[in-house]
Amino acid sequence: MSLSLRILCVVGAVITFLVVTHNIRRRKLRLDDSLFWVVLSVALLVMAIFPGIVSALASALGFQAPSNFVFLAVIAVLTAKLFSLSAEVSTLRSRLDQLAQEEALLNKDEA
Amino acid sequence: MKVLAIIPAYNEEACIAQTVSSLVEACPDVDYLVVNDGSTDGTGSICDELALNHVDLPINCGLAAGFQTGMKYALRHGYDAAVQFDADGQHLPAYIPAMAQALADENADVVIASRVLAGEHIGGARGMGSKLIAGLIRLTTGARISDPTSGMRMYGTRMIELFAHDFDLTPEPDTVAMLARRGAKVVEVPAHMQERQGGQSYLDLPNVVRYMTRTCCSILMFQWFR
Repeated sequence: MSLSLRILCVVGAVITFLVVTHNIRRRKLRLDDSLFWVVLSVALLVMAIFPGIVSALASALGFQAPSNFVFLAVIAVLTAKLFSLSAEVSTLRSRLDQLAQEEALLNKDEA
Repeated sequence: MKVLAIIPAYNEEACIAQTVSSLVEACPDVDYLVVNDGSTDGTGSICDELALNHVDLPINCGLAAGFQTGMKYALRHGYDAAVQFDADGQHLPAYIPAMAQALADENADVVIASRVLAGEHIGGARGMGSKLIAGLIRLTTGARISDPTSGMRMYGTRMIELFAHDFDLTPEPDTVAMLARRGAKVVEVPAHMQERQGGQSYLDLPNVVRYMTRTCCSILMFQWFR
C-alpha cells in the first residue's frame, strides 16, 4: 500500500467521522444509523495504520496490488450499504402509505 | 402531584389486562396510558373492550417512538411526572409512590427503580451487562447508578418536555448517562421486580448483542456529540 493511499485513507476516515458527528449534533442522523459510518472510518484508519494486514489479505486472495484490494473492499461494502438503504426506502415507502391511508380513513369516519 | 404511567405495548395480549388492573388497584391516584405500538395480536382489541386509556399507533414504531408518544401525552395534559412501566408485569406498581416522593423530595429529574439497592442480585450475563454499563456510566459521567438497565424510570417535568420534543432520545441507559452528564439529577430508590408474567421477551442473542453494542458505543462516544 503506497504512502499516498494510506494518507488518503486517514483523510477519508477523519472527514467521515467529522461529518457523522456534525450531523448527530445537528439532529440529522440517528445514533443507530451512525454506527455503520463510525465502523467504516475505524476500518479505514486500521488499514492506513497497519498496511501489513491489507498486503497479507491482498496477496492471499491473489490481488496484484494491495490498492486493488482496498478499492474492491470499499466498493463491496458501499454496495452492500446501498442495497440495505434501498430496502429501507421500500419499507419506509410502504409505512408512509399505511399512515396516509389510516389518516384518510380516520378523516372519512369523522366527517 | 399528577403522575402518568406510560405503558408501551407491542403484542402483549397475554398480560396487558392484568398489568393495567394491578396498576389501577395499587395506585388509584396514578393515571396511565397504554401505547399500543402497532400490535398485530389482540392487544388493541383488549384495550378497546376493557376501555383502557390507550392510543393505537397505526404502525409499529419501536419502543423509543412509542414512549415518546406517551411523553407528548404527558406534556399536553400537564403531568408532573411520567414513569416508564412495562406491559409484561415485570414492574410492581407499589413502588410508583415512593419514586414520585423521591422525585419531589430531592428535586430530581430522573428516578430509577433499582433492584440492586433492594438487595436483589442480578445474575448471569444480564448482571454482567448491567455492571459493564454501570461502570461505563461512572467512567464517563461520574454518576453512580446501581441498576442502569432497570426499565422502570420516572421523569420530572423538564425531562418530559425534553423527551417529547428531542430527536432520537431512547428510554435506555445511554440516555440516562447523557442526561446525567448534562446536569440532570438522577436518583435511585430500592425496588423489587418480578419475572415477566406472559408473552415473549425480545431479548434473544442477536438483540442482546445489538443492545450492548449500541449502548456501549453511545455511552463511550456519541454522548459527547449530542
